[in-house]
Amino acid sequence: MKRSTMCRLAVLWAVLLNAACSQNPQPQAATPADSTALRARADSIARAERARADSLAVARRDSIARADALTERSRGDSVRAQILENGGSASPATASGLAAAAEAVLFETVLFEYDRADVRPDQAAKLEAKLAILRANPRLEVQIEGHCDERGPDEYNLALGNRRAAAVKRWFVEHGIAEARLTIVSYGEERPAEQASTEDAFARNRRAEFRVTRAAR
Amino acid sequence: MRRAGVLSLVALAPFARAVPAQDSTVQSGVRIGITYAPGTRASLAVMRTASAAGLDSVRAILERDLDHSDRFEVLWRPSAGDVVDSTAIARVVRGGPAQVIALVGDSGGLARITVMDVRSGQWLHRARLPLGDVTAREFRLRVHALADDIVREVAGQAGAAATALLFVQAGRLWQVDADGHGVRALRAAGSPALSPAWAPDGRRIAYTAFVRSGQPIVVQDLASGARTMVPTTEYGLNITPSFAPDGRRLAFAHGTEAGTDIYVWEGGTGVSRLTVGRFADNLSPAWSPDGARIAFVSTRARSPQLYVMNADGTDQEVLARFDFGATGTTSSPAWSPDGALVAFHREVGGVPQVFVLDVAGRAVRQVTGSGRNEDPTWAPDGRHLAFVSTRGGRRDLWVVDLETGRLRQLTSVGGARLPAWSPRFTLTAERE
Repeated sequence: MKRSTMCRLAVLWAVLLNAACSQNPQPQAATPADSTALRARADSIARAERARADSLAVARRDSIARADALTERSRGDSVRAQILENGGSASPATASGLAAAAEAVLFETVLFEYDRADVRPDQAAKLEAKLAILRANPRLEVQIEGHCDERGPDEYNLALGNRRAAAVKRWFVEHGIAEARLTIVSYGEERPAEQASTEDAFARNRRAEFRVTRAAR
Repeated sequence: MRRAGVLSLVALAPFARAVPAQDSTVQSGVRIGITYAPGTRASLAVMRTASAAGLDSVRAILERDLDHSDRFEVLWRPSAGDVVDSTAIARVVRGGPAQVIALVGDSGGLARITVMDVRSGQWLHRARLPLGDVTAREFRLRVHALADDIVREVAGQAGAAATALLFVQAGRLWQVDADGHGVRALRAAGSPALSPAWAPDGRRIAYTAFVRSGQPIVVQDLASGARTMVPTTEYGLNITPSFAPDGRRLAFAHGTEAGTDIYVWEGGTGVSRLTVGRFADNLSPAWSPDGARIAFVSTRARSPQLYVMNADGTDQEVLARFDFGATGTTSSPAWSPDGALVAFHREVGGVPQVFVLDVAGRAVRQVTGSGRNEDPTWAPDGRHLAFVSTRGGRRDLWVVDLETGRLRQLTSVGGARLPAWSPRFTLTAERE
């Protein structure tokens, strides 16, 4: 049953992602002198501005409520049992000490708006799922990596990536995770997930990634 | 007739002093500065009068350096093999439009360079240098230094030929001479290495190295390769190093969970903090040449814009005016060598362009308009800027002369970024 919850969540993310993608115009090669690409770039910035109009306060209240609900369910070790589905202290499935399914949830990237570092309302569900894993695995320590798309000054993007990683860390700390379990690092635009200069690639490159620095067991 | 007389003097006059065997092999002769009408450039021909090996390379390097100085209209470019005799020179002088001629001759194993103002018949500059391997850096540097001297004697301010630029490509640090010659990789402490910056002595550089523990600021001695890590930068994000003009202090930006702020290292074990961002970013410090002020980038008003403060962090204010929410992202300040201008880049319609700000009047002037243009860096002559541009299709380094608007492509490597123009090298600094 818990598993089906996870699946539903995964499906929901997929739908959200697709919805986000389908709003975009055709992916275009962003040759700098190409006015179409410039327009697309300006459009994406405008979309980002509109997205900001969303009330962060509402989003945060909702996400806290959802996270609390998840945590509530995790009491009685049901989530832990599900997350560590390989069972007890037997050989962990992965180097992280997490089950592969849990690792996939933990490692899923969190996306950001252009030139923004605040947690997007539509990304909060990913953080909630990770929160459950962090709560269920008190030994687990994680490094949060902030990344940027290739637009914007190279050096500024290192600072922006740092703010993104810090925002994700702050979210976890506000939700009760000990600060010492989370470290941050910024790679700016130095390690794109995708090399292409398209809106889709930009969207996927504006992200936080997660790396286990201390295994769950 | 008078001209012809001077010419024979040029051809025959022996140098009064013998060239000492050691250090100061570049000998300067009589120095008589000539003032040409403002806004016009002296026309110049560079010719060689002898056929000794290496002389034509000297001539070609000089000619290109003098051309790149943008102080001259280089008129006459004989093909590589040409040696001109006194009759040919006389013809150029009598009939040609050349206002200045530079002759490269032979003097017993030394290259002899004579620069003459054609109309007055005055010698503007005379020098000798030992002929060497024209592919060797040090020899080329001596010729570049000679070109800089000639520019100073004729135009009043030295050229910027005896310099090099650092840049980043594919995560590595590279160095290229100011004439585009000799692109070479430097061994850096980590990969990627970013934001290279020169110390004022031209012997040390600082940069951000991505290593396992974090992103420290590394100071590296170019000749020995010896590295020092700036204290307190062992962990976390440490970016955009910038040496103060005194060569002792180093400003940089340090990122924490509370944002990114500018710090100064004074050479000891501690650093002092100049900005308190509170979840904003403050980065890219750029010292004024007197060391009193620091221009920097801050997101304190949401979008990255240019600010300026005293070197102790006091009196922080907006440097380049902007309209909140309307002016594009502004970044990468670089203070001109004379302190009058700050170059930077700003997004116009989402595309970065290079601008120059007049510090006294705060007026800005857009310098570029074709393609993406970013990360300007000043040549030590204060009139040339190098920057990254996509105007050639790929990201490469270009140089613009702010007075004439003349452009030249410096690199053809693709993916070049974050250039830093060196100070003028002294020859001893380059000796390895």
